[in-house]
Order: sequence, then C-alpha cells, then structure tokens
Amino acid sequence: MLSGGGTHPARSRGLGFRGAMAAAASSADMFDDIVMAEERFHGEGYQEGYAEGSHIGVVEGRRYGSLHGAKIGSEVGCYLGFALTWQCLLHKCTDEKNSKKTKVLDSLIGMIRKFPYEDPTYDKLQEDLEKIRGKFKQLHMAMDSVV
Amino acid sequence: GRGWRGRGLREGHAGGGVARGPSPGSQGQPPPPVQPHYPPAPAGPSWVCRAVLGEGHQRTVRKVAWSPCGTYLASASFDATTCIWKKQPDGFECVTTLEGHENEVKSVAWAPSGNLLATCSRDKSVWVWEVDEEEEYECVSVLNSHTQDVKHVVWHPNQELLASASYDDTVKLYHEEEDDWVCCATLEGHESTVWSVAFDGSGERLASCSDDKTVRIWRRYKPGNEEGVACSGTDPTWKCVCNLSGFHTRTIYDVAWCHLTGALATACGDDAIRVFEESSPAAPQQPTFSLAAHVARAHSQDVNCVAWNPKEPGLLASCSDDGEIAFWKYQRPEVC
Repeated sequence: MLSGGGTHPARSRGLGFRGAMAAAASSADMFDDIVMAEERFHGEGYQEGYAEGSHIGVVEGRRYGSLHGAKIGSEVGCYLGFALTWQCLLHKCTDEKNSKKTKVLDSLIGMIRKFPYEDPTYDKLQEDLEKIRGKFKQLHMAMDSVV
Repeated sequence: GRGWRGRGLREGHAGGGVARGPSPGSQGQPPPPVQPHYPPAPAGPSWVCRAVLGEGHQRTVRKVAWSPCGTYLASASFDATTCIWKKQPDGFECVTTLEGHENEVKSVAWAPSGNLLATCSRDKSVWVWEVDEEEEYECVSVLNSHTQDVKHVVWHPNQELLASASYDDTVKLYHEEEDDWVCCATLEGHESTVWSVAFDGSGERLASCSDDKTVRIWRRYKPGNEEGVACSGTDPTWKCVCNLSGFHTRTIYDVAWCHLTGALATACGDDAIRVFEESSPAAPQQPTFSLAAHVARAHSQDVNCVAWNPKEPGLLASCSDDGEIAFWKYQRPEVC
C-alpha cells in the first residue's frame, strides 16, 4: 500500500539530476492520493474482507465442530445403550458360549468409557472410534443369535 | 516363448459340463443311485467341469478358496455374503452363509490351521471368522484399519498372520494380541491401489502388486535383527527390499509365489503373464529378480488371477476377463 510523502535524500544533497527528479517527485505526491486511490481502496477492501471472512469462518467452524462432535457422541452413546442392555441380558446366562460374548462386551464398554470425549485433538481419535465401531459390529452379530 | 511348453485350455464358465442329480424314475420307481464322480480325472490336457454351484449367490462371485483340508470351498460375492460349501459324494452343499459386510465382498482366504477364515470388502473392513468342530462360524473381529476398499486377503503359510491389500495404496498385517485382532504393520510405498499380496514359502517375505505397475518385495525383520533394522517393541518391521518396475505396461491384478520353486508369477491388465526368478546367490537384503518368462498374449483380455499348483512344480493356472481359464507348464530357463 502506497502512501503519499517520503524522504528525498537527493534534494538535501543538491545533485543536479537527482534534484530535478526529486522536484518532480514532490509535485507528483500531490496527485498520489488520486492516482493511487484505486490501489488504496483495493487494499483497504481486501483487509476488511479478510477480517470479516475470518470471523465468519470461526463461527461456521464452531457450528460444524459442535454438529460433528454431537454426531460422534450420539453414535457412541447408542453403542453404549445397546452394550449395557446386552450386559443385563447376558447377566442371567453363564454358560461357556456366552462367557466369550461377555468378554467382548466388557471390552467394548471399556473402550467407550476410556474414549476422551473432552479432547478433539486426541491423535488416535479416528483410530479408536473405528475400533469401537468394529467391536460393536462384531457383538451385534453375536447377540443376534441370543436375543 | 522360452521356458513355456504347450498350453491346455478349457472353457469352464461359458458352459461346460454340469453335475446332474439322479434323473426322475419312471413309473414311480426309485431313481438309480448316483455314481460318484470321484476318483479325480486322469492326468492329461483335458479338464472337465465337475459341478456348477448356482444356488448360492445373487451377484458376481469374486473369489473362491479351498480349505486346507480340501473339504470346504468358500465363495466371496458382490451380494455382500460369503458362502461355505461342503464337498459331498454327489456334489456340493451350501452349509453356511456368512453375512455382515455392508457391500461387495472382494476376497476370502482360509488360515493354514483351517480354523480361521478372513474376508474383506468394499466397506473398507477385514473380518476374521472362527469355525469350530460343529461347523459353526463366528465373527471374532471386525478390523477397520484401511481407509478404502480392501481388495485381497491372504494368510501367512504357517502362522496366524493375515495380510490385506487395499485401494488406499497400502498393505496391512494383522495378528492376535491378547484375544484381540490388531493391525500390527502397515506397508507403504505403492503409489496406487494394491491389488494382491502373496507370501513366499518361508513366510519371511511378501510380494505385493499394484495399479502402479510395480511388484514390490518386502522382507520381515524381527526385533534384535543383525541387520540393524529398527523395530517398535516386540513387533517385527517389514521393509521393501526390491521394486520390480518397468516390466508391466498396465495394472497388475494378481501375483503368485510358488512355494515349491520360488518363482513369482504375475497377472497383468495388458493380457500377459510374466514369471520372475530370483537370481542366485541370494543377497537377502537386496534380492534381484529377473524376468524369466513372458507370454504377451496369454489371454485376449485382462488377466485377473494366476495360481501355482501346490503339488506340481511349474503348473500354473490363469483366468481372464475373456472368460477363459488357461493352464501353463513353466520350466525355469537355463540362463537365469
């Protein structure tokens, strides 16, 4: 962004050619505001737009984050609901076949309880979520034959 | 070409023989007993279709796999199911249908113990199933490690170690750790879809083939290895020790590593079959494979699969989009 005015060291030295150029430059300063108007407005407009865009971006990001986070919470909550129900149902059955299912069930509940719901920056978030989904699917199939 | 001798060709899927049950008796007489179709056909160039299992799947059957004992055949289909067929005196009977995958099942493989089965699907997951003495199948793990369509699964020749190949450009390995199946290694290097994987006879090396037109050879380094390759904890590391590039002009759909001779065969989208041999003396850290045989027009369309006969050295089977199954007799050339 250009602004009118500046230093003219050539003038103070009084050199011929430079002096003439300096003289021409000082009169050109007068027209700077008009000549550089378009570029200046363009620049100001860009800065305003950038600031506004950033603000809107943050708002949208927060909205997306809470929506997405809620989806994950809801999904995992659903798995926990099923798991706890199955745990009650299996409580009565103590035979060998069902002891295997109980083990898998305990593992799933353990994974769900251990999941860091407060930390969206947890580096293994996707990985752990996929493990929970896989365990739930495996259990769902196994429980189909019991329930 | 050199190293090749003759070719036995049989059209199996365009409508060969069909196994027929007893014909209806006349005048209410019980039908005559069915003559068993076994013992197997005599050795020779002709192959006869013994059975057509048509009642199991609603869509494309993508892969079939024999159990180690030879009694069961597993078929993986685009209808999202895997059927288990049991060999009976008069044909095959579907004993179970494994459901659970969300969409197309791409591959199925039996573990060498015969107790485990693996399937993989476009739904990005690999499933491990356990079968007990009563022929009851149970899913013991759903592995969601891949980020894209999983194309192929194969078991280690003598350990319960599973490998999978995916559209996400990686090969993953899985084993059981404290009653749970986990992904213990990810092999990165290919620049496009990995279509197939094969272990060598010892299980210390793995070959992978890809849409990037290369075959890569990977070697297992156990913790504390003398070559000084770093390992994390007790898990071995797999490193790429050879990259066969410049031999194939299209996607390589399958790779098969002969456990008898060590020869490596590839099935390519350029209709050709190639066989590679390792140059000896073998330098384990930097093995070199050279092209020992190349049949440019093995089929008239993409070659989809190649398989070495596990008992007869040099006998190779291939199949193609052109609807044909071909049998090849390969002999390692003198200069190799």
